[in-house]
Amino acid sequence: MSAQTIQQLESARSLALGDGRYYPTIIPGVLPIIGYSADQTIEIQRWGADFLAEAFASPTWPPEAKENSASSVLATLKAYLENVPDKSVIKSAVQAAASVYPLVYRHIVSDPSDAQHWQLMSAIKSNILRRMDTATPGVRICCIKFLQQVVLVQTPGVLDPRRPDHNDISLALVSRDHPLIPYASLEAEGHGLLDRLLDIIHGDHSDGLLVTGTLNSLGMLIHRRPVAANKILNSVLNFNPLKLANSPMSPKNKVIMKSIERTTRALLMNIMKRNPENPVNGRIQQFLERMHRMRIDVFDESNRKRPAPSEPIDGLDPAKRQRLGAEAPSRTPPVAAPPLPPGPVSWRQLYTLNPEGSTVNFDVQAFKDPEQLLRILVPVLQSVDGTKLDQAISIVRSRYATFMHSGPRTTAAQHAAVPVAEDEEEYEPDFEPEDAEQLINKLDGLPPTDFPAQTAPTTALAPYKLPEAPQLSEQEAQKYGDMTIHRAFGMLSSVEESHKSKVTKGGFNRLAATDYSRDAWVTILSRLATRASAGLDDPEQGVKDEYAVKSAKGSLKISDAVRDGLYQYIMYDWKKRIDVAISWLNEEWYNDIILAQSAKDSTKNGAANGHTSSTPGEPKGNYHRCALRLMDGILPYVEHTDKILLRLLSEVPALDHEILIRLKKMAEDPERIDLACSALQYLYMFRPPLRTIVVDVLAEMWKENDRAKQSARKLLVRWRPEVLGEETSSTPTMKTEEGQPAKESANGALEVKAVS
Amino acid sequence: MSTDPRLRARQQQLAPAPAAATPPPPPPPPVEAPAQSMGMDGATDAHADRNMVPDDKFKLKFCTVCASNQNRSMEAHLQLASAHLPTISFGTGSLVRLPGPTVTQPNVYHFNSTTYRSIHDELAQQNTALYTHNGLLNMLGRNLAIKGFPERFQDWVPGKPRLEHAEDKGWQGTEAGVVDVVITCEERCFDAVLEDLHNKGGKLNRPVHVINVDIKDNHEEALVGGKAILDLALTLNQVAAEEREAHGESGWESGGGAARSGFDERVPDIIATWQERWPQMPALWSLAWS
Repeated sequence: MSAQTIQQLESARSLALGDGRYYPTIIPGVLPIIGYSADQTIEIQRWGADFLAEAFASPTWPPEAKENSASSVLATLKAYLENVPDKSVIKSAVQAAASVYPLVYRHIVSDPSDAQHWQLMSAIKSNILRRMDTATPGVRICCIKFLQQVVLVQTPGVLDPRRPDHNDISLALVSRDHPLIPYASLEAEGHGLLDRLLDIIHGDHSDGLLVTGTLNSLGMLIHRRPVAANKILNSVLNFNPLKLANSPMSPKNKVIMKSIERTTRALLMNIMKRNPENPVNGRIQQFLERMHRMRIDVFDESNRKRPAPSEPIDGLDPAKRQRLGAEAPSRTPPVAAPPLPPGPVSWRQLYTLNPEGSTVNFDVQAFKDPEQLLRILVPVLQSVDGTKLDQAISIVRSRYATFMHSGPRTTAAQHAAVPVAEDEEEYEPDFEPEDAEQLINKLDGLPPTDFPAQTAPTTALAPYKLPEAPQLSEQEAQKYGDMTIHRAFGMLSSVEESHKSKVTKGGFNRLAATDYSRDAWVTILSRLATRASAGLDDPEQGVKDEYAVKSAKGSLKISDAVRDGLYQYIMYDWKKRIDVAISWLNEEWYNDIILAQSAKDSTKNGAANGHTSSTPGEPKGNYHRCALRLMDGILPYVEHTDKILLRLLSEVPALDHEILIRLKKMAEDPERIDLACSALQYLYMFRPPLRTIVVDVLAEMWKENDRAKQSARKLLVRWRPEVLGEETSSTPTMKTEEGQPAKESANGALEVKAVS
Repeated sequence: MSTDPRLRARQQQLAPAPAAATPPPPPPPPVEAPAQSMGMDGATDAHADRNMVPDDKFKLKFCTVCASNQNRSMEAHLQLASAHLPTISFGTGSLVRLPGPTVTQPNVYHFNSTTYRSIHDELAQQNTALYTHNGLLNMLGRNLAIKGFPERFQDWVPGKPRLEHAEDKGWQGTEAGVVDVVITCEERCFDAVLEDLHNKGGKLNRPVHVINVDIKDNHEEALVGGKAILDLALTLNQVAAEEREAHGESGWESGGGAARSGFDERVPDIIATWQERWPQMPALWSLAWS
């Protein structure tokens, strides 16, 4: 009979499954059969509860239609809940109630007069809430979901009550003066039930079912009820997913713990993903990290340890008895150590806790190979028992303290007298803590490199101070200074590539060295070279500036080191760094002029001193020397196409015969004759004060360099034809001597003759 | 029951396979025991009884999930369906990804629309030798006999009737589109399932046990994993059925101990004991809502 009925019911159900629109007609047809009666078979009750749960959860028919059918099933659900003991009926009935509650709720919201149905619903609700704490876990989880639905609809959904979302069944739909469902009490109940829900995750974790079920029901609440979201999140973030870590690590507990942890993570990840900008995400992240670490701790430990026996311990088998926590600390036997012998004590004695032990005679020096020693030492250190080590350390510490107390002076003195003990030979620290006075005394008395043989360390140790570093010798100081300069230039080269191109010259408006560009550093360095020590010398010494390099006075050395650096820096890539050369030489020149002027002043003022031997009219300070050096450095590398030489010559502040004569030297290379000539021509044209010198150089060139004669003559013809005239008489002798160039000069002579 | 002979043949095929193909994980479950005595009718029946749930008994509804709904979830789907357990299966990936000629050229298909047959045909056309050699064609051939196309978990609407899937293996019992147990094959999928269930919001108010069984994504491991899942599913089903019976008119009062406690709360226990049988497949579990 019942099988037959079920078959009928099944066919009705498959109709509804085929098209959800049939539900409103099928439910009234089915209800008389499934409606509770005492003589019903359990199969029909199960089928009925399952069907109701399925029907009202089904997404295939709209909520409005469901709402109309919902009221009709309340009586059946209530009867099931109140009369049927079968768990699966109850479970399905609670599920159905969870689906129906929001529908009835909205129905009551819109129809405040329907007190009868609300009473039925309220009865169902209180029945379910009663079960919450007492039912078996399988039923309780369904109650949790029911609770979630109640909380959902009894919490305001949208924050703006003027624009209620009618698809979202929430407290916002309820008018404040609803006769059946007073807003305030619904709200209060919603709060209370949420608290009850949240209490579950902080409660007993032993079956994991309720906790994961609750956690999995919170995601939707957080998402749809922003009002409650913070409260829920705070609760979750204060929750300890690994609560079971303290209970015995049975396989079941392990599964539960891992599962709770994972479920919490999934919930929090979901919250973060839904709202990536949520300010609380940082906290969530922290929580997740902490949880992850805890998990690793818990499970790593459990992997290392043998799991505690899970069977009940009857106390008969002592091997199986669980150790009590109180016993644990005293497990390691205290390390016994004999007191120190009276009198002087060696370090070895101080540290030897067990004079009878075999390790006493262990001589580390036996290991010639440090690798071998390492291989032994590292595992030994790893295997050291922490508590034992602590005990040993405290014993040594107390020994040391008492020892110190019993007159450190005498032991120190005795110690010094005692011939060095066998294993203390090696103990020869480089620096002994000494007070400054001692150190100075020692330094006064001894050559700095010769350290006296240290006495064996006394036990009367003062608080350790880092020993003062030995004073730098002059050479060392100089070496380090040089290194500093070297580094500065190293930095300069690295700055160069990035900055050089961007520089826009500010002309007179710029301030030198205001940024970190190469030019700024060049300025700083060249001024450091030129001005740092300028004027520090006595006026008399200033006189000797010319010879300063050779005399190598300490104060000047740093300038020269910087100059050397600049020189090297320029020479490294002179074509590109010609501007550095120019600005450096300008600085040098300027400084020389300033010095010379002040020297002139002082000689004027101090003429009475009789120091009139200075030669201020001739400012051949560092500039001249540096310019010459630079020229000499550069010229070998100049090629006949390097017009940049013209720039150098035109922009350096001062040129004299001595410098320009280098061009003559350069012109000895036939390839570079033209370059030399055009340089001279340029200087003649654009630096009129130099004309005499230029022409002198040219004339010398003409005289001495036969191959340059032709080029030089072209210029000399215009500038100083008389030279050519002079030479016509003298050159023939040279011509006849040398032969090959004779023709040339003969031609030249002819030409000159024609002109003159 | 028209499927019976085929299934039996299937099981005969499957049983010896893991012994040959997977040396490292010994197949421990009791399921294997009668394999040698397969020839005898009686033994075969006994075997079938052990591994098959009679149709008149209570059955949990299962759902297997892996990344692409191709290998692990489908192997498990087949084994569960062969045991007459209602089963549906899904993938959680964004697309169906299958190995291609090189690591950087996977074959990628859309969920829910590309059928196993069309994938099979395409790959067979592309390079029959390669895809026969790496087992893809074999796998796809198996899959197309199980159901039409790979389905994506995130697109599943719980409670939506699956009448159009009536041809799928293991369809019996899944017509309402609800499940009791979701078994994922990888932690990533487990997380994806939990997350997606949060997003779905548990509209059915129906509890669902989500269980992860970690299985490596290759054919051999999938086969072993499928057996492990079947073992788990049968145990779960057994306990759930016990609950139904214990709580019948007479059972409630007489049942005691474990039988007294319900199915749901025993799930962690079941997983823990199962885990001892299958230690190489770490399990996770959560009670979620569909």
